[in-house]
Amino acid sequence: MIGALLNGWVPRVTLVAVVLLGLQTTVAAELRPLGVVVQVMLAFAAVCGAVSGPVQGAMAGFAVGLVYDLGVGTPLGSTALTMTVAGYAAGWGRQFRIEPRWWILSGLVALGVALGEGAVPLVRTLIGESDVLTTRILVVVPTVTLTAVVIAPILLPVGRWALRVRVSELRLPGEEVR
Amino acid sequence: MPTYSPGRRRVIAALALTSLLLVTLDLSGNRVFDGIRSGASVITRPVRTAADVATQPVVRLWRSFRDYDRILEENRALRAQVDAQRSAEIAAQNAIIENQDLLALEGLESLASYDSVTARLIGQSPSNFDQQVEIDRGAIHGIRVGMSALNEAGLVGKVTRVLPQSSVIMLATDPSFAVPVKVLGTVATAPTATAPTSSDPGPPSTGTDPTSTSVEGTTTETTTVTTTVTTTVTATSLPTIVRETGVLRGQGIDDLPRVSFVSGGTGFGRIEVGDTVFTAGGSTSLAPPNIPVGRVINIITRTGTAGQELEVELTADLARLQFVRVVLYQPPTEAG
Repeated sequence: MIGALLNGWVPRVTLVAVVLLGLQTTVAAELRPLGVVVQVMLAFAAVCGAVSGPVQGAMAGFAVGLVYDLGVGTPLGSTALTMTVAGYAAGWGRQFRIEPRWWILSGLVALGVALGEGAVPLVRTLIGESDVLTTRILVVVPTVTLTAVVIAPILLPVGRWALRVRVSELRLPGEEVR
Repeated sequence: MPTYSPGRRRVIAALALTSLLLVTLDLSGNRVFDGIRSGASVITRPVRTAADVATQPVVRLWRSFRDYDRILEENRALRAQVDAQRSAEIAAQNAIIENQDLLALEGLESLASYDSVTARLIGQSPSNFDQQVEIDRGAIHGIRVGMSALNEAGLVGKVTRVLPQSSVIMLATDPSFAVPVKVLGTVATAPTATAPTSSDPGPPSTGTDPTSTSVEGTTTETTTVTTTVTTTVTATSLPTIVRETGVLRGQGIDDLPRVSFVSGGTGFGRIEVGDTVFTAGGSTSLAPPNIPVGRVINIITRTGTAGQELEVELTADLARLQFVRVVLYQPPTEAG
């Protein structure tokens, strides 16, 4: 199974995640609309779900989150959990037989990002950090979601490439990608 | 119709449980994870450096767009402020030198006694829930977890993660940040003047010979005049120093750090808006004493036995850090 993963999407997703980590810690950390850091990696985790479905989205989100935790220094597994939520939530909508146009996929990405970013303070509180769950989240989540919608059209082809999802496969909702 | 299979549930549950397991192991201090993290940092460093170089034009353009008007206005205000403070600076430098001379004379430690490492900021926190920055100096430069970071203005934060060639600093605004501090207030003594006393003229003298000595809140001025000797003792409004100690805690990016008092402080009511806050030091504090932290700008009265809290405006501008100085200080309990 591990061999199949290594020959499959894992190296590509990891590669993209490392590149996005570079962007996340530099340009994304600097561009702060309304004082909020744009979450490029979270958007990518949600994109993975939107193009492939809930299970693979969750697994890809977990992998992207681990790269984030290792690169940024957040408790290992904490961001992996929130990005798993993002990937799963974005992929959840793919179960319905809807035409996967880019704007519908962007909407699914928005759903995943909103839930994923919203889960961050909950997970942080769960692991013992105090004063993380504040009203600031009312600004953070909508801003992160909106910026994710803006960058989603760029990330969608990247997500398809990373998960080896052909456009024809994208147009057959409900099928799991191998 | 949505499909939902037991297999999916198992995968999601496995991922969630794995995450929680990793978090638990990591928070309990796992050396293997620390090694993996150091390795990941080394591996991803070239990518991050490349991304930093490639995105610099975009970042600079964005900064120019965002900050131009504000910087222009600030520049005008700062020029005026610099002019106003030139004379004060000379007096302050003199006072600092005298202070260091006195400390050296008495064999007391001061901030200048400790070695430090100057570092450049190489990254900001990519998260919306942490206030951290990354610097380009690490373990090989002598930096250890817990050491204090400051800039010219005052306390910036403390080191929370150290890699061989870089470190992460938790800013003083982070909700997890805490440091023992002391609040130095001043109470002006009510001026009291004694009536001039006259004595026998004694041998006549020509001219005046004023001498002045200052003793904790009082000034004694002696003036010798030709015909009479008049001594006037006046308690001027020179301050009495009030000192309270407490713990400063960050409150997040939108709120000012607060000082809560450990002892409940009977003399607490004497603290006023504008009083200065310094690190307290001590045998268990990771920060050395007398690092400037900020000024009290609000006193919050809480009901019951909770006592009062002080809102502190930090002297260091954490939004625009470029360089920080890490003080290579470890308290006696840590240094062994």
